[in-house]
This record gives sequence, structure tokens and C-alpha cells, in this order.
Amino acid sequence: MKASEACSPDELLTRASAGESAAFAALVLRYQRTVYSIALRMLSDRHRAEDLAQEVFLQLYRSLESIDSDAHLAFWLRKVAMNRAIDRIRQEARYGNEPLTEAAAVIDESGETDPLLERRMAELVAQLPPAARAVVVLRYQEDLDPVDIANTLDMPINTVKSHLKRSLSSLRARMLGAAIVDDIQPNMGEPSR
Amino acid sequence: MSKDFEQQLRDALRPVDPEKGFEQRVMARVASEPPRSRAKVTRWTASLALAASVAFAAIFGAQQWREHREEQGLEARKQLLEALRLTGEKLDLAYLAVNRESPPPDDGSGA
Repeated sequence: MKASEACSPDELLTRASAGESAAFAALVLRYQRTVYSIALRMLSDRHRAEDLAQEVFLQLYRSLESIDSDAHLAFWLRKVAMNRAIDRIRQEARYGNEPLTEAAAVIDESGETDPLLERRMAELVAQLPPAARAVVVLRYQEDLDPVDIANTLDMPINTVKSHLKRSLSSLRARMLGAAIVDDIQPNMGEPSR
Repeated sequence: MSKDFEQQLRDALRPVDPEKGFEQRVMARVASEPPRSRAKVTRWTASLALAASVAFAAIFGAQQWREHREEQGLEARKQLLEALRLTGEKLDLAYLAVNRESPPPDDGSGA
């Protein structure tokens, strides 16, 4: 029987803390999507996102004793992933590395949504400043409310609200601008009569 | 842009899975770490050893200090007794000398 089967998340945490590696693997499996998605949206590069996500889980492995519940674990993982991602963005900015925009390529192909629209939206989110991007990712990817975002990022609640308001307004304006350009561009090649 | 804008944002930021085998890659890195239980025990042992050393040093230090003070007290007592003994001897000598040199007291008979 696998460690993840018939085991509550809190029990998994207890067993992982006691040194059971199968329980820790089950925790990784449970939270890999959250941690990797945060890293990918923040860094916009699959390889760097994978590396950062692995580092977050290694840090978790060393800090298991300090985590007392599954809710605390989810909070801790988001916080550490975000802090590490923001640190890395700052380091890379200092050394002049250009951010990539691979995150925009990760889109849903199910047909229920417009892939081009989603790609454009993800690109625009990737262009937001790191703090604003972190707020938007936690709000719309992780579905956290502003209070939880403020706690995760150690940010005043009013700053969170302000980032959300300004980012939404900026994204909306740029999406609208992109839509207008898309409407105009197909006709630009035709000679005027 | 007919769809609710925030819902569009949620769709665009839908969580994604890492490439296959992520969990195994994490566990491979974890395997290179020192064993958790042993690390925990080692930390506890180190803490206990440190606490015991500090307590032992404190008790031993206090004992040494008390013995040192006692030795100092005994030495001072010995020195005081020696000083008193010497003073007594000097006083005895002085008393004898005084008694030897002084003439016998005049009894007043004139004889």
C-alpha cells in the first residue's frame, strides 16, 4: 500500500516528519503542481521553475519539524516558493539576465477556452513587476483571498489590494489594446482604395 | 472580451504539472541529504551533551571556587595564629627584659 493511500494529509505530514520517505514522496506528489506552477509563472522558464521547485521541496525536507498541519504546509510552500522566485528574479536582474516567457506557452488545449487569448494573458502577467505578479498569481492561480496573500507575501493588505487593482486595470487595458491591434492588423497588408 | 475578465485570468493561470518524474527527481536529491531521523537524534544528542557540559562545568567550577576559598581561609588563619604566636613570644621577651633590668623596689626603711 502506498503512503498516500488511506492516509490523511496531516497523517502524511506526521509520518514524513518521523523520517518515512514514502510519506514525504506522497507530500511532494500532493503539492508539486502548486509549487511548480508558482515557480513557472514567476520565472517564465520550465527548467528554472523545475530547479526552484526541487529546492523548495529540499528546504521542506530539512524543515519538516517546524510544520504542524497540512494547512500550514500549504501556506509554507507558497511562501517559500514565492520568496525564492522573487529572490531569483532580483538576482538575475542584477546580473542582467533576460527573463524568458515560456510560461505563456503553457495553455489549455481542451477547446473550452481561447488558447491565443490565454497565451496573450499569460504573457502580460509575466511582464508585470515581480511583486505585482506574485499578487496576481496567488489571487488567480492559487485562488487566495487578499488577507491570505498579504500573509504569504508579508505585505500590508492595502498594498495587496492596490497591486490587484492596478494590475487588473493594466492587464485589461493591454488586452483591449491587443484586441484592437489584432482587429486592425489583418487589414494592414491590403492596399487602400 | 465577452467573458468575465477575471475568469479569463484564472483560465490563463491554471496550475500546471511539472514534467513526469518530478517526484522521483526530488527524492533523488533528498537521498543525498543526511537521514532525517539520524540528523534529528544527532541534534538532540548534541544539545543534551552541550547542556550537560555546561552544567558539569558550572558545578565543578563552583566546587573548585569553594575549595579555593576554604584554602585561603585556612591559610589566613594559620598566618594569624603564627603572627599571634610571634607577638606573644616578643611580649614575653620584653617582659623578661624589663623585669631583669629594673632595680628591686625600695621598701622605704632606709637601712
